[in-house]
Amino acid sequence: MAEPEAPVDTPVLVEREIVIAAPPDVVWVCWTDPARLVKWMGRTAAIELVPGGPIRVEYANGAVMLGAIVEVDAPRRLVFTWGWEDPDEAVRPGASRVEVDLDVVPDGTRVALRHLRLSATEAAGHAEGWDYFLGRLADAVA
Amino acid sequence: MIDQAFHALAEPRRRAILRTLADGELAAGEIAARFDVTRPAISQHLGVLREAGLVEERREGTRRWYRTREAGLEPVRAWLDAFWSDRLEALKMVAEAEAPRAPLEEDRG
Repeated sequence: MAEPEAPVDTPVLVEREIVIAAPPDVVWVCWTDPARLVKWMGRTAAIELVPGGPIRVEYANGAVMLGAIVEVDAPRRLVFTWGWEDPDEAVRPGASRVEVDLDVVPDGTRVALRHLRLSATEAAGHAEGWDYFLGRLADAVA
Repeated sequence: MIDQAFHALAEPRRRAILRTLADGELAAGEIAARFDVTRPAISQHLGVLREAGLVEERREGTRRWYRTREAGLEPVRAWLDAFWSDRLEALKMVAEAEAPRAPLEEDRG
């Protein structure tokens, strides 16, 4: 079989689902309460849960993710922009967006996560989407 | 292909060229005009990017046009995919540890 081509023209970078044996309320709090976020997302976390409010997570390696809340619909949907704070990392805040949807299923809650690349016009600055990601990857192999 | 992409991306000038192309297709001469390096140096960078699958080339008469290639985002997707896989597994552990376990199991009978 020939080398598979990546889908063209789709802004979706990652699409994942996981079923968690807990009610949506509990999963929601894990996403939105800094005290819970530090148990699975990073070592420090701050979030202001209103549209336009900041979300900031520092990972174990010291890298800092900085975003802004776009949509809040507890306990169903959370949308925020996603980027690295350090300008040398090249993925600028506002260059991508994460959408999290929680649905009740018989076994608990299905978490559907989509990470999208924003177009140059959607991105807060300009055509930084590519550079943001590419710089980060390059650093990983430097 | 992924190793090649990493190598291609490790050079800041090549990342800058990609960023320049992110807004649309450009002729080789136009790309060179935006950077303070020689035309052959730009050609070499474009060759590395093309071989890594990050840009594609189109010839029109004597002119060569370049644009970013969507498939070049594959390493990005792979990195983020692994990142979110790990994070969601961690989320599952934390949320399930906090969830009231007994009622769910009793409902099931």
